[in-house]
Amino acid sequence: MAVFDAEKVQGNILRGYPLDRVRHMILEVSDRRRAREFLAAAADGTGEEVPRITRSANWSERPEFCFNIGITFEGLRTLGLPSDQLKTFPTEYTEGMTRRALKLGDFGESAPEHWPAPFDRPDRIHIVASAYANADHHLDDIEKKVAKVFTVLGTRDGRNLPDGKVFFGYRDGISQPRLRHVFDPEHAGDHQIKDPLGTVLLGYQTQLEGIKFTIPTPEDVFRDSAFNAFRVLQQDTEAFETYLTDAAHFLESHRDVARLLPEGAEQNIGGGMSRHDALREVVAAQMCGRWRNGTPYEASPNSDVQDGISLTNYDYSLSSRCPAGSHMRRANPRGGPIVQRVANYTRRMVRRGMSYGPDPETGEHGLLGNFIGANYGAQFEAVMCDWINFGLQDPGITGTNDPLLGANVPETSRFDLTLKGGGHIRLSGFPRFVKTRGGAYTLLPSLPAIRYLSQLTA
Amino acid sequence: MSDDSGWLNSYINSLPERGWFQFLSKYVVVPFWVWREGRPKLPGGPRPSPQPSDNTQRMMNLLMPLKDTSPIGRAKAVMALAQNVDEIFAGLDNVGTVHSARFLLVEDYICMISVYDGDFSNYIRDFISTIGSVFDALMHEVEGGDKLYPSEENVEAFIDWVREHDLFQAPDYPFDLFGLQDEQAGRKPNDPPHDLQTLPRSLILQLHANRNISLGGGYRGYPGYSAAQIRRNLGVGW
Amino acid sequence: MENKHLVKDIVHALDIDGGSTERRPVHTVGVGATGFFKPSPMAQRFCVAEHFLPKAAKKGVRVDIRFSNGMGVVEEHDGWSDVRGMAVRFYLENGQSTDLVSMTLPVFFAPTPETFLDFALNARPKPCQRATPWQKIKSYLQLQLPLPDPYPGQTERPNEGAIAFASKHVWAQPAVIDASSIGAPVSYVRATYHAVHTFIVTGKDGQRRWVRFSWAPIAGVLNTDPKKPPEDRYLKKDLEKRLSHGRTERFSLMMQIGEAGDDFNDSTRQWPPHRTRVMMGTLTLNKVREDQQEYFEKLSFNPWHLTDGIDPSDDPVLRIRKDVYAFSSNRRQGTPCPFSGTKG
Repeated sequence: MAVFDAEKVQGNILRGYPLDRVRHMILEVSDRRRAREFLAAAADGTGEEVPRITRSANWSERPEFCFNIGITFEGLRTLGLPSDQLKTFPTEYTEGMTRRALKLGDFGESAPEHWPAPFDRPDRIHIVASAYANADHHLDDIEKKVAKVFTVLGTRDGRNLPDGKVFFGYRDGISQPRLRHVFDPEHAGDHQIKDPLGTVLLGYQTQLEGIKFTIPTPEDVFRDSAFNAFRVLQQDTEAFETYLTDAAHFLESHRDVARLLPEGAEQNIGGGMSRHDALREVVAAQMCGRWRNGTPYEASPNSDVQDGISLTNYDYSLSSRCPAGSHMRRANPRGGPIVQRVANYTRRMVRRGMSYGPDPETGEHGLLGNFIGANYGAQFEAVMCDWINFGLQDPGITGTNDPLLGANVPETSRFDLTLKGGGHIRLSGFPRFVKTRGGAYTLLPSLPAIRYLSQLTA
Repeated sequence: MSDDSGWLNSYINSLPERGWFQFLSKYVVVPFWVWREGRPKLPGGPRPSPQPSDNTQRMMNLLMPLKDTSPIGRAKAVMALAQNVDEIFAGLDNVGTVHSARFLLVEDYICMISVYDGDFSNYIRDFISTIGSVFDALMHEVEGGDKLYPSEENVEAFIDWVREHDLFQAPDYPFDLFGLQDEQAGRKPNDPPHDLQTLPRSLILQLHANRNISLGGGYRGYPGYSAAQIRRNLGVGW
Repeated sequence: MENKHLVKDIVHALDIDGGSTERRPVHTVGVGATGFFKPSPMAQRFCVAEHFLPKAAKKGVRVDIRFSNGMGVVEEHDGWSDVRGMAVRFYLENGQSTDLVSMTLPVFFAPTPETFLDFALNARPKPCQRATPWQKIKSYLQLQLPLPDPYPGQTERPNEGAIAFASKHVWAQPAVIDASSIGAPVSYVRATYHAVHTFIVTGKDGQRRWVRFSWAPIAGVLNTDPKKPPEDRYLKKDLEKRLSHGRTERFSLMMQIGEAGDDFNDSTRQWPPHRTRVMMGTLTLNKVREDQQEYFEKLSFNPWHLTDGIDPSDDPVLRIRKDVYAFSSNRRQGTPCPFSGTKG
């Protein structure tokens, strides 16, 4: 077993940064030689005009900005990695996000054909470089430096919204895998089982007993790298809020509504609200698995008051009030009952995201997400194609998609609200609330890998 | 116009059934067209689809070439499976997405024919993690299997190998072959449209590239339901 | 009426030599029978239309069925390769009724009325061109199949035009491929018929589903031997014989449930065969009526003639068929269909 050295790992993998702004720069390598020089200087901080790659090691003082890079398969090829080594990378990465579209639910309006520039030309996307800071001038400064060497095909700016929320109004980023060997005070109170390092980094034991994912050649170089699915996800908050209103109208006159939310419980939701508004929030909470303030629905089905309720420590069962079809349960079924019993806890991945927009012209807004793991097929894609969409993990939801993130169309969408004492009320007719507007599969290379790539000669 | 233009027309109509013409087609006509516009091999297994009923009861038709095709080699393959019944059932019961699976020895292949729900690579990966030892035992008897040993540490290569040896599933509607061939060659499907009359040639050339195929994605008595849904509704637990 | 000119143009494009404006422009030759339909116990879960409710299962819903040859000529050529039709009228309570119009092709020729007009004009029968021996050999050497020889007595056919047109228009390909190899059934009750368009059914729980219907013959599907010379007149006789002396024939009504990503409004594309299929009921044929002319040749079906619990999808071809059928019904002075604008 390799000894873990945080100096070898890029800093955005194992922990999030306490910085509120991000700029993702989508880059083309137009001059291979200069690109390599840039990588060499970035790896070791040896150039004035090149930002240094941020590592995972614990910082003695908080940095003003951070800088990390992800490289696409086309990027590796362009940097000159020989073809016999390129062949040792996994198929999903080799094909790239656009050719995996159907597995990710990227069809219809979300299909790569409809992605705006620069994501309409995936062959030109070689590197996604990300700068993090609290102040815009740091981001501008880094972009200027990067632009001297690379062709900047486009940028996407993100920011943390107040109270850790996303545009849909939910508090986000509460649950993350906690990794052995990593000190993470932010998630110390989370009692879910810890994940081995092989969940995110290449070269370590994974949660699947005995299974190690293949490290591309040369192994000692690419060990400690990770794979990232960078996603630009547009959130249709207007359609979402409209649907909540429609659903609340439908529920108000439903004969079983008292078993959905007891009369009077509206006093304990959002600090007290009308019955109608409370029913909207119940629908939002069951769809997500959390109330918008983050309180787990499983732990508290009739109130979003957080008093003494752990945000992270609960589990699901066959009689859970948190619907099997909710977003949280689909993305992480925890120790709850699932069809693929061997897969409990095996498909976790690190999720980091910041909100983007609204665009002043189009109003488009959403999330810039990084979904990081050691193996696309076993984690990101497995969750997207079998759990988020399709719902194979529970026979009660098989054939339906995630109500928030899923590839829904009004004609066939459905979502079952759970009721006290069992049974359900079925919602249908909701559209797709999250549309894919771009993305790329990138390798987050280890520091040795960045140095290795910088020294290629072909 | 006469209704049948006599013996010549009848003879010409019967050409495809005549030995000499079949010989000519096999050794001259087909090789010429393969040389001229051969089709790339199409990948095995069901194609990715976002639609629920395409993701239940998917078909696997895995043809694994035997290393030793003698009765002794075949017996080894039989033993590799026969000694692992507990393992197989433990996998079946806990992976939870398999409707049926069976193994056949046909000519020089050991075949695994199964019906499963959900994504192909998840199915294989979950099985490797539970019964990798069975695959390992089997792969020792299969050509090219040694480099995949142990499967637990070669998950990606193992999955790629299985996909490579899973039969191409011809489209359920013949016309869709054009589009699949276009996509495989990196072109936009049916743009420009294909001459309808070239469909037989497209099929013949594809069968040259993919000698063994599955004729469509199969027929189902109760399509659209997962193994767990059926078990649940029969009251036998999932 | 949506677009009078387009409707008229479509009907005229379908009028061909050998047809008659006093008869149907297509599916001209046919035979009618009567029978009853009994819904399956599960049917109402998916559709609350009257003929799918349990009370309909007790006595059965009375139905009229007209089978037909697709060609628009008055002469009978039962043995020629051709699309067949099966139109069913269900008689509901209080004088109401509803139709299900289907054919042996699983897909339609064009996705919109305008493109259908284009197709119909291009696929009008043209003089048969028998391939010369040398053309046939050339086809074989190109690994292609030559067009079949014309039938004895056949001077015109749509095949050449349809194939040339489909080779330029992808949407026409599925239907043209199927139509060109469809053959002739040994009996009208030995073919599967598809209602082709998508309909929206509402279930007992209020849930709406986008579905397609097919009639599956319980006797099985069987075509004539294409190598034998075709017979011109046997289908009506066959049906009379099968339904004489109290004998019956049956069809199962199967319903496919569409899924996200299926084209609900384009009937040129067949849904994949793995869609959930629901057994909706059984149709029993029991009699060929004597008064064929008065009864079935006048009767006007319409695919838009639906009832509560079944709604049309937004398929533009389904929409225009409503008016095309009504126009044609008026022209031949048929018993008015519900949309023909005259009082009956």
